[in-house]
Amino acid sequence: MSTKLTDLVQKPQFLSGGHRLCAGCGASIVVRQILMGAPDDVKLVIANPTGCLEVSTTIYPYTSWNTSYIHCAFENAASTLSGAEAAYQSLKEQGKIKEDFRFIAFGGDGGTYDIGLQALSGALERGHRLIYVCYNNEAYMNTGIQRSGATIMGSWTTTSPYGRYSSGKKENRKDLTAIAAAHNIPYVAQGSISHWRDLVRKAQKAFATDGPAFINVLSPCHRGWRYPMEKTIEVARMAVQSCIWPLYEVENGKWSLTASVKKQPVEEYLKSQGRFAHLFKGENKKILDIIQENVDAEWDKLQKRCEQK
Amino acid sequence: MSERQILKGCVALAEGAIAAGYRFYFGYPITPQNDIPEYLSARLPQVGGVFIQAESEVASINMLLGAAAAGARAMTSSSGPGISLMQEGLSYMAGSELPGLVVNITRIGPGLGGIAASQGDYRQATRGGGHGDYHLIVLAPNSVQEMYDLTIKAFYLADKYRNPAMILADAILGQMKEPIFLNPPPLVLPEKPWALTGARGKKAQLIKSLYLADGEMEQHNWHLYEKYRRLEREEVLVETDLQEKMDVLLVSFGSCSRMVQSALDLARSRGIRVGFLRPISLYPFPQQAVREVSREVGKVLVVEMNTGQMWDDVRLSLYPGCRARLLARPGGGIPAPGQILAEIENLVKAGDGIDESVHQA
Repeated sequence: MSTKLTDLVQKPQFLSGGHRLCAGCGASIVVRQILMGAPDDVKLVIANPTGCLEVSTTIYPYTSWNTSYIHCAFENAASTLSGAEAAYQSLKEQGKIKEDFRFIAFGGDGGTYDIGLQALSGALERGHRLIYVCYNNEAYMNTGIQRSGATIMGSWTTTSPYGRYSSGKKENRKDLTAIAAAHNIPYVAQGSISHWRDLVRKAQKAFATDGPAFINVLSPCHRGWRYPMEKTIEVARMAVQSCIWPLYEVENGKWSLTASVKKQPVEEYLKSQGRFAHLFKGENKKILDIIQENVDAEWDKLQKRCEQK
Repeated sequence: MSERQILKGCVALAEGAIAAGYRFYFGYPITPQNDIPEYLSARLPQVGGVFIQAESEVASINMLLGAAAAGARAMTSSSGPGISLMQEGLSYMAGSELPGLVVNITRIGPGLGGIAASQGDYRQATRGGGHGDYHLIVLAPNSVQEMYDLTIKAFYLADKYRNPAMILADAILGQMKEPIFLNPPPLVLPEKPWALTGARGKKAQLIKSLYLADGEMEQHNWHLYEKYRRLEREEVLVETDLQEKMDVLLVSFGSCSRMVQSALDLARSRGIRVGFLRPISLYPFPQQAVREVSREVGKVLVVEMNTGQMWDDVRLSLYPGCRARLLARPGGGIPAPGQILAEIENLVKAGDGIDESVHQA
């Protein structure tokens, strides 16, 4: 399948304009790039747990979704979609459905890294043919920017304040993409909206996978990360270039890097966002070194995984 | 007496909890109660406390259970869907007789519903909510001052009865700002000889809700039953504003009762003789007070922001022959004082023997 821009812009749009996500929001870009990877001859069923994407695209009596769409509670997009997929497979087997359907969940990092992890793990282990996409904006943005399991150490959020007693989030984030890969499912990838061709290609692979696929996409949020709204793509690109958000895929157990980067110091990336501004003052500066060390260690580990034959 | 300040309901509640000596918060984001964890994430470290954001409400309630078993005063807060996820843990806490405070800043249900205020969680809160034969102690503030005062009270009742307690407020009470005095009562933390604080030099203890021996679980349920009867005898909280020879008695709780109080003033200014009764403890429900007051007045108007949940408790408590009508506004709407006044006037005109019908505000 083509990933040429001239071809991609001809594809049908499944998320219509006019939704009420913020200008400069990464989430709608994630959805559009992922769904550009859908084959032309299939129908889509989207599951979407509560979050920014859901509340802003389905304000009653309107919907932005030009597909079948199921909203579910915060913790169970993977379960809801498992049920829909299982019913479809049965009806298909019985000859009651002729068309080909594909099942895609879009969950935020709150609904995926934290409260939805159990449901996700179950769905991946059972082997449903579905694609779970995490649009990762590294905090609970819909409820007012609270820290999540994806929030980077040192980051300010409304529940990881900085001041006399705290320098932002104390803990490092969890590596959810590796956790998904540890389920030994056919396809796992990490993507970024700044690298659209890479992401569309990963989506195409996920759609072609006969089994579960998981894609974790960095989705910058200017409200929560505190940067000018027009910089969303630029910030996403800096995350990739600094290797704090490396792009890779795990295809049937084989790890490989999918973007060539000249690794930049993470400081430039952190400097671009207000959520890290306090790290550049006084004693907090030592946290910058810890973040860089964490990035280096994770990057080394990833490179080793990708070198293995 | 402290200086008068203007605080948001959620913040007043958080300060009340700190005044009650609590130092452990476990919670998970959900609107419209996020002001509580956000405030406490900065405030608790200042008083040597611990703030933990859990990965889910299931985790929050079980962290509360763990802290309670260790003898700590602990709290979690959430709203509708999150409180639903906590029900298993609440049942375990009630079964294990562990105290703790759960704050429900309610929103509209069922399902995702919406984030505006509703009183639709009354039944879940007062009947137990989870599996098994138990109650929560449920207190319902109707002002920012009470968000503070009743939070302190709820901690004391929870410890006294070794039972989880709930503050049932709503989006209005959580989000509105009002003048308030912060007057903490002297802090006396009760001894908790049952708490799991280590067995060095003393007998090992066990806290559980599983009783397998023949008849043991039955005995445990009767023990809990006695505790709830004692609560009903000794801990009822109710506010009344009564007159001689009343035409109508108004019954309402929480934020809704504020609108009812406005309607009460309007009615009295027109010469209608109206009484007002507000259950503050929803469990134990003021059955006796409703029964006694309704004896004096034949007509009762219950006003609720749901389709009639406390109405059931009122009708169970009425003096024989007395009838209660319901004025209801579910789904995020708020009854206007004028609508309540109109209903009062209808009742006055209706003569004796009104029907128990549901009217939409």
